[in-house]
Amino acid sequence: MDAMKNKKILIVDDEPEIREMIERFLRKEGFFRIYAAGNSVNALAISKLEKPDAAILDVMLPDGDGFSLLSSIRSFSDMPILFLSARGEDEDRLLGLGLGADDYIVKPFLPRELILRLFAILKRVYAANVVERLPVFRLGNKTVDLDSAVVRGTSREVSLTAKEHAILIKLYENQGRIVTTDALCEAVWGDESFGYENTLMVHVRRIREKIEDDPSNPVFLLTVRGLGYKLLTQESN
Amino acid sequence: MDGVIRILRRFVGTTILVSLLLLLFNLVLLGSLIFKEHHKSPSPEAVVQQIAYGLDQRHGKYVLTHEAAQQLKTNRAWAMLLSPGGKVQWSERLPSEIPKSYDVTDVAKFSRYYLMDYPVFMWEHTDGLLVLGYPKSTYGKYQFDFLTEWLRSLPIRALLLLACNVALALLVSVLIGTRVIKGIRPLIQGIHALSNGDTVQLDTKGIFNDLSQSINSTSRMLQEKNEALKARDEARSNWIAGISHDIRTPLSMIMGYASELEEQPELSTEQRQHAAIIRRQGERLRSLVSDLNLVSMLEYEMQPLKLKTIRLSVLARQVVSDFLNNGLDERYQISIHITDESLSVRGDERLLYRAITNLMQNSISHNPDGCKIELKTEAAGSSFNLFVVSDNGKGIPRERLADVISLPYASGRIRSDLQSHGLGLPMVARIAKAHQGELILASDSEKGLKAVLKMPASLYLNEQ
Repeated sequence: MDAMKNKKILIVDDEPEIREMIERFLRKEGFFRIYAAGNSVNALAISKLEKPDAAILDVMLPDGDGFSLLSSIRSFSDMPILFLSARGEDEDRLLGLGLGADDYIVKPFLPRELILRLFAILKRVYAANVVERLPVFRLGNKTVDLDSAVVRGTSREVSLTAKEHAILIKLYENQGRIVTTDALCEAVWGDESFGYENTLMVHVRRIREKIEDDPSNPVFLLTVRGLGYKLLTQESN
Repeated sequence: MDGVIRILRRFVGTTILVSLLLLLFNLVLLGSLIFKEHHKSPSPEAVVQQIAYGLDQRHGKYVLTHEAAQQLKTNRAWAMLLSPGGKVQWSERLPSEIPKSYDVTDVAKFSRYYLMDYPVFMWEHTDGLLVLGYPKSTYGKYQFDFLTEWLRSLPIRALLLLACNVALALLVSVLIGTRVIKGIRPLIQGIHALSNGDTVQLDTKGIFNDLSQSINSTSRMLQEKNEALKARDEARSNWIAGISHDIRTPLSMIMGYASELEEQPELSTEQRQHAAIIRRQGERLRSLVSDLNLVSMLEYEMQPLKLKTIRLSVLARQVVSDFLNNGLDERYQISIHITDESLSVRGDERLLYRAITNLMQNSISHNPDGCKIELKTEAAGSSFNLFVVSDNGKGIPRERLADVISLPYASGRIRSDLQSHGLGLPMVARIAKAHQGELILASDSEKGLKAVLKMPASLYLNEQ
């Protein structure tokens, strides 16, 4: 994580107080190479001169809007861009993301949220040289290795089918939270997944046979009646 | 078109009624004005009869009663009694030129018409023939002869005459009616178009030109009003959007610095709690601002709907899961009752999710001591599907049900302390309306609240 903190961050907002506030939060988090601009012209100049690693853009700027600024930046740079806008309508959000922004935060925002999203973007873009690996986690005395799609027990190893794998990934992404049957079906069979509930039940039973000590009394993969399923992990890495 | 025929029918009916009344009126008038004279004094027949009865033979002499003599006098008439042989046996006021003896031919002649230009009337007397003569030129005597056949068919002829009159009246009224209707029809069509809100431009010629001009100007006025209303709605919506936009920047600062203070370890617990309160109130303001914006867009129909087919059961499970995942208090028990998995509606997923979340949040925030909440999907006929959120909590008094779905601060709405900021249920009602559906609330105090979201059904994958 610390490697991220020497990245150059550009803040573009027409309100000096907002610029100051964001800069303050970033410095507090450990970032120290921060640039700020109050309009598109300055933002473009800094982008060309300093080649920042990421930018936080406001949509409404005195000399144009953030969307066209994004397009200009994209003509010479692929740096990740996070929109921070007072315009919260879906259209703006979709326009921003459609133009190639990496995230879109609506004002007012909590600084923690902004920092977390910025880290997420930086991690996604600049940690890409590390081979993307799927998580490996422990359930009781078994280890679920989603990357190689196997469940390792104390004595033997069983492999997961493609569907079981997809279900487990979805559940793991939302561990500790209820995932509705509809969301699971959609994750496995796609949008037109109406009517797969019973098939899903069969797959869940097979997964339990692989990960639970007593599949009839599951402790990790729980059924939430009428809603869906919930995966409880003891530890994760 | 139907209206035109109705008008014509009325018109024709009225015309015929008026014609008949006129006929009746004329008959009455005829009887009372023209033939009134006839009954002014006793008819000659009555007089001659009275005289015949008033003439008696007493001791070989004829004596006329006083009344009969008086009658003769007032009528300036004369009378004579002819014996069977044709001799005058008695007379009264007899003019000198009248002969004293008659043969059969004379009697036959004057009995029908005149005796020496005197109109005479006869009556049979026990001693012969009584003749009553009126002054010259007072009465006209005419002889009428009819075939019995003709007399017998007279009522039918009269009826025929009446029928002909009715037919003529009908014909005339239909002719006039159609002419008038031809003039009225465009006006009627224009007014119908007005009520549909269409633009109307009528031909201003013809007998109703002032009316057509009025209709045209009304149409123009309505269009102008509509445009003005639309412009005002848009301005209002933009105004609210602008305000909620401008609030966001200062709110960002408040929330940002408050949450920073909240995490400052060198501050006292109390100070950090104060910062937390500022931050939480900021978050409340944030949700209020975005609610306000959404409600105003829905209110003025500025919200474009991204319609897709949505299964109600999926939505129900999603909402409940999210409530549970976000740590719902254990005092609230939620159950789902799904009658048919395939029930679906065409709607904007985000807005419907918002609506159902609002309904559940409403049940939760109005029952701080906890309650049971049930979500249910139901079909209502083939064209509507229902999403029902009901609780067994405090409910809302029946008389306030209409109140809670109108916008706060709207005229007539009583401001209530029960609601956090009062936009929850009004927003649900507007989301339902934007989907051509409606929000139906039912409640009795202490028996909980039942909110029914009624939405047009979507024809959906029944083939699976």
